[in-house]
Amino acid sequence: MDEYPSGSLDPSIPLLVTLGVSGVSTHGKELSAALRDQAVLVRSAAAALDSEQAIGLRRFIQDHDASKLPWTGREPPSGTRYRFRVRSAERLMLLPPRRATLPDGIDPPSSPAVLHSPFSPLSPISPLYPDGLIDTQWLQKHQVLVPCVLLCFYTLVSDPTQATLRDNQIKTDISNIRAVLNQSGYKTRIAVVLLADQSASSIEGAQERLETIRKGCGIDAKCLFLVPPNESPEELERMAENMLATLYPVAIEYYRDLGRHARKKRSRGVAPQPTIPPTSGTSQTLSLAGWNFRYDFKSAVFAEFRVESDNALRSYDQAYEGLLSSELLEVIPSWSPRWNEARFLADVIAVRSISCLLWGDQHSRAVRRWRAHRDRMAELIDRRGRGTNNYGWKAWEARWALVMANLVDRADITDLAPSTHTLFLPPEKSTMGERLQPWELLHHTGYWYRLAAKHLHSRRAFARAIPDDDRKPPSSSPASHVASKAFTYDTYMCPEPYEEYPLDGDGGVDHGSIIISCLIRARSEFLKRQQVRLGAELSLECARELAMANDWQSIVELLRPLWKDMPFRAEGWLQIMEELSWILRGAAAMVGEASLVVAIDWELLNRGFTKRANWPYDLSKSLDGISVKAKPQIHIDDGQTLSFVSTSFLFREEEGKAGQSVDGQLTIKSNAHPGSAPVTLSSVQIQFNGCLKRVSLDHADDVDSAVQKHGAVVFSAVTLEPTSNASDDPDEEGEVITLQGVTNLTLVPGQTIVIGLQIPLRQPGTTKAESLTLDVKSDAFDLDQYQSFQPGSGANLWYLSASRTRRVTRANPLAIGVLPRPPQMEIVGLTWKEQYYTDEEIKLEFEVVNEEDVEAVAKLDVTLRGEEAPQFAVELPAKPGEATSVAATANESKLTGLSLGAIASSKSITALVSFAPISRSSQYDLTLKVVYYLSTNPGTPITQTTSFQLNIVNPFEANYDLLPRINPDAWPSVFDPDSVRDLAAEEEAGFSLPKGVSQTWCLVTRYASFASEDLRVLDVDVDVQTPASVRCRSTKKLVEPAKQEQGWLVKPRTIKEASFDIVAQKSSVDDRTPVTLDVSLVIKWTRLDDEKKSQGTNTTTLPVPRFVIFGTEPRVLASVSHVRLPPSKGNPRGELLLALSVMIENASNHFLTFGLTMEPSDEFAFSGAKKTTVHLLPVSRRSVTYRILPLPPRVPEGDDEGREGDEEGYWIKPGLVVRDKYFQKTLRVIPTEGMKVDKDGGFLVWVPRFSEEEE
Amino acid sequence: MGTAIPSIACLGVIGRNNNPLHITIFPTHSHDGSQIPVRSPLQFSLILSSTLDIFSLRARHFAATNVGLTTGDYGLLHAIDERLAAYGFETNTGVKFVVVVDMRGRRADSTPSAGGGEVVGGGGRERKGTGGGVGNAAAAAAAAVGLREGEMKPVFKAMQTAYIKLLQNPFFDPDEHSPPTGTGGKKITSKKFADDMRRIGESWMPGITSL
Repeated sequence: MDEYPSGSLDPSIPLLVTLGVSGVSTHGKELSAALRDQAVLVRSAAAALDSEQAIGLRRFIQDHDASKLPWTGREPPSGTRYRFRVRSAERLMLLPPRRATLPDGIDPPSSPAVLHSPFSPLSPISPLYPDGLIDTQWLQKHQVLVPCVLLCFYTLVSDPTQATLRDNQIKTDISNIRAVLNQSGYKTRIAVVLLADQSASSIEGAQERLETIRKGCGIDAKCLFLVPPNESPEELERMAENMLATLYPVAIEYYRDLGRHARKKRSRGVAPQPTIPPTSGTSQTLSLAGWNFRYDFKSAVFAEFRVESDNALRSYDQAYEGLLSSELLEVIPSWSPRWNEARFLADVIAVRSISCLLWGDQHSRAVRRWRAHRDRMAELIDRRGRGTNNYGWKAWEARWALVMANLVDRADITDLAPSTHTLFLPPEKSTMGERLQPWELLHHTGYWYRLAAKHLHSRRAFARAIPDDDRKPPSSSPASHVASKAFTYDTYMCPEPYEEYPLDGDGGVDHGSIIISCLIRARSEFLKRQQVRLGAELSLECARELAMANDWQSIVELLRPLWKDMPFRAEGWLQIMEELSWILRGAAAMVGEASLVVAIDWELLNRGFTKRANWPYDLSKSLDGISVKAKPQIHIDDGQTLSFVSTSFLFREEEGKAGQSVDGQLTIKSNAHPGSAPVTLSSVQIQFNGCLKRVSLDHADDVDSAVQKHGAVVFSAVTLEPTSNASDDPDEEGEVITLQGVTNLTLVPGQTIVIGLQIPLRQPGTTKAESLTLDVKSDAFDLDQYQSFQPGSGANLWYLSASRTRRVTRANPLAIGVLPRPPQMEIVGLTWKEQYYTDEEIKLEFEVVNEEDVEAVAKLDVTLRGEEAPQFAVELPAKPGEATSVAATANESKLTGLSLGAIASSKSITALVSFAPISRSSQYDLTLKVVYYLSTNPGTPITQTTSFQLNIVNPFEANYDLLPRINPDAWPSVFDPDSVRDLAAEEEAGFSLPKGVSQTWCLVTRYASFASEDLRVLDVDVDVQTPASVRCRSTKKLVEPAKQEQGWLVKPRTIKEASFDIVAQKSSVDDRTPVTLDVSLVIKWTRLDDEKKSQGTNTTTLPVPRFVIFGTEPRVLASVSHVRLPPSKGNPRGELLLALSVMIENASNHFLTFGLTMEPSDEFAFSGAKKTTVHLLPVSRRSVTYRILPLPPRVPEGDDEGREGDEEGYWIKPGLVVRDKYFQKTLRVIPTEGMKVDKDGGFLVWVPRFSEEEE
Repeated sequence: MGTAIPSIACLGVIGRNNNPLHITIFPTHSHDGSQIPVRSPLQFSLILSSTLDIFSLRARHFAATNVGLTTGDYGLLHAIDERLAAYGFETNTGVKFVVVVDMRGRRADSTPSAGGGEVVGGGGRERKGTGGGVGNAAAAAAAAVGLREGEMKPVFKAMQTAYIKLLQNPFFDPDEHSPPTGTGGKKITSKKFADDMRRIGESWMPGITSL
């Protein structure tokens, strides 16, 4: 906007001139020298006021100058209701002449010359003469030269002697001024300020005097002000404001008059004739259309003065259309200077229109207007001018964008202020809903500056394309050439080609610096609104420009902060980073910023960036050709670069124990460009927190450790050793350690180095890998890169070998939980058996082994838990006699604090826990706890606990059958004197001989081993407990198999049988109550392995269910005996005869009668009563005998096995029925030996076959 | 000068970590009549990344004024210059779609229905549209070149649909593309997604309601 002539684009603000106060005159400077001679002189005869008050007042008025205020339609914030441009003159001021004089050397026309304003194309002295339209001078005339209000300052003298005189002087002075103005034709309003030298009330007749002055000079009442003396500055300011507010309507009226005048002239519809008809050039004068344009333009400007934006806009539009119509611009030849003048006017009108639109908050329309003018001009110039493909047009476009930026700035739109962070304004209501171009939403000035920069770029490009011939100064070119090129270039408001881009290189337009200034302005606007990325983009563009200007230092200053923390890096916009890095690298190399160069080279090695052809990609050559003062030290922080080296660290296990070592793995991956030079890391340090401080690995070329290679993976294990200065702090007792190792750290591009580490753990807690530092030390530079490990960022690959990986799925493989140091004391059960049994004595031997490195003092606690835990004793063979009894509670028996004494390292001590035989099968938990103190660290108890489960089961189970037998002894008879109890003898002897009934039983037991191993049963017996009234005797009858020397070997899950004869006799015949027998089976056994140790036998007693004997019910017992008859002729061996004896016992007190019936059978022949009756006295028994001859069994055909039998014999079934005659009840016949019960209640008798051995 | 109508110059998908996930650049109409991209890939990268400033500005503004943006449509982010304008959309997972529209990207065929000539409203300049007989020539012309609010909605909807399709692929791990650590991420390599983007960018025209 600054390129336009001053005043051409300035806002139109009413001009107020103060006259009569001493001070610097600011008015009239713009008056051109040519017009100065003819100027209208307005002079005040009175002396200029120099009182403090006057100057103060003037200053206040001056301060209210609105020309620098934002040009906006809104009310200024102070609430002032006026706007004035204020100029001051001391005693005289010059106004441009109303009528121009005829220039010298022109013959006056015959008739009296009609003189016109010097700014009019009618006056020959005007540059517009004869056919120009209008120019800036006219605008300036109204803006800064001809005031609408002339504010004259005078003193109101209080001295009554001088009052009249001075008042008259004032009147005269004002009248003179008015006369001059009237004569000149200016309609400037006069206002008078009277400064009283005493307070108005003290001045006699002040009001009258004022009235006199007012009337005498014909001043409007509103335009006369009296200022009392000695007012405070605040009061003065208030008065000044009042004054200006009062004068403002007067000023507006002034401009309204002027506007009316212009419209009146337009409506006349005639083109005035110039003072002198033109004689030179085409003799063309301004056409009527031109005049109309002039009037429209003037109306618009005057409307602008009046702040009537709608009116102004309308008039401007009218003027603009008029100007571009076929009658004006279309007919002006493009070679004519008037063409450019017209373009200039079009620009001015467009700018002023846009101003008015912005003023009325019509932002989108303003942008449209801006575009429309640009498009209109482009179209016009393409069609009639020199086209738009040249630097001139681009210069204008850039300027046009800058103008818009300035206008937006000047309009001071609050909604676009940086603090609002608004980038563009929404469309105003009138355009809402239309299809708007996005650009038509008014963006903030940053965008406009950027647009200007872009056009300036194009301008430079066009300028560079100017052929050399045109770039020579015209003086050195042939005239013909100059002439032919005269109209090739559009030089509207821009230099000729030889100035734009001179061939000799001197001077010319410095496009770069203009572009940079635009970019910097745009950047600051973007940054104000937190558009950092856009700001960065502009910095990048700036840097490109600076690079063209070889201003390397500035580039480094501009881009270095960006490079350090640009958002693009973290966000992965590699292309942008790359661009920036290369530019910065180039500049840094030029200014010798060695560390920056290395850092950038380090980053650009990353394969993610595009590889630049012909670039060495060798860090060692980075600083070639760069002068370096000191060896650069480069420190790269975490995330500061996108390093080509990526590292990760893993622990293999989630948990480890103090005192042990764990596997860790460090992976270093090079992502450098293929083909770049290998980088050798001089060292790598992993920082931990926890019990480990640091692991540092140093590079060595030749490392003899085994290295596996597979593809791009290099796998090696490094042994770590604590460094000598590990415990630099004595308090830490060396627990925080530093480890060191050596390996080959040369990184070939694309290679992954996997280093397996054995890391010893010393202290419980969590140990975590925190960060890593890579060091590269070379002759040229030292670089270290710091990287902190982030959980979850890596792939968590654990290399089993170079070729095989496994994914570690833990949440945080960077950390390891270190558990407390495990106790190194072991409790071993020495004689632990698979199974323990009831009724055996249990001796458990435990060994406490000290695996610590030092001697330990130990104590032993033994706890047995379980239902009715038995007592136990603990014996220490090392300390004989120290068996310790145990205090037992209900479910727990316990022994605490048994001192084991000192156990030397790797020695052991034995403890023997013994239990008395336990009769019940049960389960117990036996817990042994050893609490020990190391002699080196007696304050810390270490506990080792081992639990054993003690299962005690019954080794045997048995079932029983009690079978009745016939007692061979005769029953006592009440009639038998022997059986009568001799009480006297009994008393004498102290015991009684049993005389009662006897019964014989056979107890058959079958016992099974439930043990898990073979046991040896030494003996089986029964123990019979009887009441006192019964005498009982038991004999072991039959044990299968026959007893061996050392008893029987019983395998698990096998059944053994044993039978016993039990003979019971009641002591008295009279005693007829039933008797219960308490019998238990006693098994004596040993373990097989115990035999060798000759341990005692164990006795297991199994209770037998109770048996009731001596019932009172009668019973029938059958018995059989086999008799071999002597051999007969039919049977050489003799027939087998069975004697079946049926014993009927009546144990009751009753006389009973039984009927016996023997059914005949085809199985046998028998002799005996087929049917008989047996009478039994109370407590007596009788036997009935049958002799039975079994008939040889009939062998069914084809079956020589015989019936129901085998080789040894067969069963026959005698049909014997015994019936109680009185109760009519059949008694069951109870079989005894050699017989068995049949299914249907009868009994079977065994008939053995003949066999050889029977002979 | 024929009428130019807007076309899409570039589609960008930006991840939660502000990392570029996908960029498709479309050739647009240039002055000499050829079809070439209006900017270089680097410049488009810069354009897309600069929209992130605006996303964050707007998000902060919404947070400050407590206005929730329910649809995720940010509308016009800014006009980069007279030709290019960026429109934005953010999904509720923080993935951002950016459409860069070239306002003169396509030459409208000079059929009568294409509307008036190159007329930009305002300023009192009036020219007759070539459409002839159109009553409101200026409005018709403006309608042919400008963009209404919400005209990008079908584009965003189509982009979102394509993105959702991508997410439905069980082998696509969103965390890989925008790691929760907050930095960087891989680009989308799905050919189908790229084809979708290309189709969307090529078939969009002003006034189209579905893609």
